[in-house]
Amino acid sequence: MDIQTLYHMKSKFIAREVGNELIIVPLSGNVAQMNVLFTMNETAKFIWENISEKTRVEDIENAMTDTFDIDKETAKKDILVFLTQMESFFSKK
Amino acid sequence: MDSQQHTLNIIIADFSIQLLSDSFIEPEEGYLPFMVDKFENEPDITIQCFAGLPKNPFENDVLVFEAENEVQKFYSIYKIGNELGFIIYNQQTKNNIQQIALLDSTFTQWKVYSKLSPDNQISALKYPLGPIVMLYMTLNSDAVLMHASCAYDGKSARLFSGFSGAGKSTISQLWAASGNSIINDDRIIIRKQQNGYFVHNTPMYYKDMPKKAPLSSIYLISHFPENKAKRITGALAISKVMAFCIQNNFDRQFIQSRLNFFSELCLQIPVYELGFVPDESVVNYVLANEAGRTK
Repeated sequence: MDIQTLYHMKSKFIAREVGNELIIVPLSGNVAQMNVLFTMNETAKFIWENISEKTRVEDIENAMTDTFDIDKETAKKDILVFLTQMESFFSKK
Repeated sequence: MDSQQHTLNIIIADFSIQLLSDSFIEPEEGYLPFMVDKFENEPDITIQCFAGLPKNPFENDVLVFEAENEVQKFYSIYKIGNELGFIIYNQQTKNNIQQIALLDSTFTQWKVYSKLSPDNQISALKYPLGPIVMLYMTLNSDAVLMHASCAYDGKSARLFSGFSGAGKSTISQLWAASGNSIINDDRIIIRKQQNGYFVHNTPMYYKDMPKKAPLSSIYLISHFPENKAKRITGALAISKVMAFCIQNNFDRQFIQSRLNFFSELCLQIPVYELGFVPDESVVNYVLANEAGRTK
């Protein structure tokens, strides 16, 4: 899943911050007994919150290296892991 | 012609519900123990019941939600301005319309249209409309409707929730064999009231007295080779408990309200993942775990 696809899907979810984490809930379907809620750790929450209409992967990489004590390669890896997890989440929903 | 207005008063989870109709209202058997003669105050929910089904309901309105599985439909929800329209399908005859219902924007005033029975009675809360009324009654207050079983030892109510087949009924039978009373083994309401959170049973297809108990802990259960409990907190606990809440997630406000409720609940009530062996050992294990006597 690329960032633009994720941006368009983002509007179909409701998010709530809990400490440094984030819960997202889909705005359609019956979630009872479907286990489709998703929790994000601090890094994933940061990526989710920084995705906007024209965001590129490089923009988030830069924002992550500015915010966290990590290098670009780690940031890129974290973003890829995040996108893979989101793809898996959306495919289960 | 008989123009007498028939009234039926019900209290579920301390919510007062009044049904009114020109026709005789036949309560489902499970609602009988929840009926009262009168309320001390105005009812929280009013349901006006009418005989006969409107033709072609909601054909120009927006379909926002459908509750269905591979076999049949349960109900469909339409947005009509600020109101909601429900088409309720018969669960025996499959996909035939059983009732049409309208709910106002405050979620307190229902209009329900039902077919008259051969003896001129209305079965207004016939499944699945009864649980739908309960669901929307909780949305405007600090309460949720959940798939769960709950055991009460006279002091503490332990709630057990999980996927279908996880063992909700099994574990409640094990607690019952250990002297606990069972609030219900399938569907309950958790409500924040004075002095904390309480678990209430709801009318089922069988008769059972109204019950209420103070919630002390929540267990998300699954079958496992050994008894093993793990406390979970924060976003993980909230999301896992909320997944078993009965929801119609087509409205942002509904979801936000549920997220707020469960966030507060999970701060105050401990949540555990519990893998269990389906025998009496799980009861002793849970008690020992709560007392800090397990590794």
